[in-house]
Amino acid sequence: MADIQSTDIRKIVVACDAGMGSSVMLASQLRKQLKGLGIEVEHTPVNSIPADADVVVCHSGLADRARKTAPGTVLVPITIFIGDPAVTTLVTAIKNGGTVHG
Amino acid sequence: MTEYTPAVYGTGLKATIQRVGGHLAAMIMPNIGAFIAWGLITALFIPVGWLPNEDFAKLVDPIIKVLLPVLIGYTGGRMVHGQRGAVVGAVATMGVVVGADIPMFLGAMIIGPLAAFVIKLVDGVVQQRTRAGFEMLVDNFTAGIAGAGMALLGMWGIGPIVQVVTEAAGDAVEWLVNANLLPLASILIEPAKVLFLNNAINHGVLGPLGVAEAVRDGKSILFMLESNPGPGLGLLLAYLFFGPRSLRPSTPAAMIIQFFGGIHEIYFPYVLMKPRLILAVIAGGAAGVFTFIVTGAGLVATPSPGSIFAYLAVTPKGGWFGVLAGIVVAAGISFAVAAALLGFGRKTGEETPAPTSEPETTPAPQEA
Repeated sequence: MADIQSTDIRKIVVACDAGMGSSVMLASQLRKQLKGLGIEVEHTPVNSIPADADVVVCHSGLADRARKTAPGTVLVPITIFIGDPAVTTLVTAIKNGGTVHG
Repeated sequence: MTEYTPAVYGTGLKATIQRVGGHLAAMIMPNIGAFIAWGLITALFIPVGWLPNEDFAKLVDPIIKVLLPVLIGYTGGRMVHGQRGAVVGAVATMGVVVGADIPMFLGAMIIGPLAAFVIKLVDGVVQQRTRAGFEMLVDNFTAGIAGAGMALLGMWGIGPIVQVVTEAAGDAVEWLVNANLLPLASILIEPAKVLFLNNAINHGVLGPLGVAEAVRDGKSILFMLESNPGPGLGLLLAYLFFGPRSLRPSTPAAMIIQFFGGIHEIYFPYVLMKPRLILAVIAGGAAGVFTFIVTGAGLVATPSPGSIFAYLAVTPKGGWFGVLAGIVVAAGISFAVAAALLGFGRKTGEETPAPTSEPETTPAPQEA
């Protein structure tokens, strides 16, 4: 389990099965919430999470696969796609500083 | 997050199935644009289409039998070994395509990655032994020889086997349709769907079979088994009226994203939170399939994403009634069953989950 200081987060990757549907939606929501903070938000298939990701966000049903593709990266599993508390906590941590556990 | 860590449910087996299915879907999904182009050309210009045109209709056959399988083989090859894998995979796919009288999607999904794997092995052996200055010569010829060899293997070995398998699977589906057993498929499809096997099922299995049927009959019901937006809509409607109060405000947005945007993943968490609701989407899905069978509905191509707009775009001329009826019936049945399972809202007091440690407004899914 990795931890990361929120100030070290440069790139968040939102992953879903195909990298074309729900991840795109969630990534665009996150991008809006994190606007102006200089953080890159990307969406990819869960089988090809890039190595330079600082934080991976994906549904908990896909978390097993995300851990295999990106071992050691902070993983934020979510359960619902709109207004998930884990996402809210992540955004708050980035804005106010703090450690993100995964 | 420490305060809020949903259990990573799912065994290694499920992740493995997801991954294999994900690979199948990953060969198809980047190429959906080409499928839609084919679907539009077919719906418009074939003799029974909206604007019959003999010249334009000549595009239909080569696109479905050559272009789409080659794109799949190319994409499959690229997944295994980058651009070189893609090229060899595409060449090898021609081997299964030529001479087959069905669209060789399954064949392409096998031989594309296989050919790329062969050239990957060859590269591993040859590249480090290549003298400086000969890299280009060697690379080009190893790719050419591997591609040519795999194309021959595809034509003689893999193509005929896949053709038999595809036809057998098609016959099995036809038998299920004729015996009115196809609605039972929902018992498997809907639970698998909410476990994020939706793309694997639709694009990895049903789509390739559906295309073979669509080429023969002009339409296929198989495209609609997994992608029907009705059951999810009904479930979300039930949540809107009878779900836990804290979840109700999020459902209208979810409905729009699911039904119009076609992103079905949005409703999976609502099932996973209260797993017994799987019965609602199974019932809705089965009722939808039954309606599709009774009305003889079918689509000409994969509606992807599973949005109502995508459905209407690939509905053959004169087929709108059955397609819409199936969606409406599925939504209605799913809504009714889900509403009953939610106790018509009476039990919301006791069922509103109390967040354990997180003082968030959105509740944690305690029941999952």
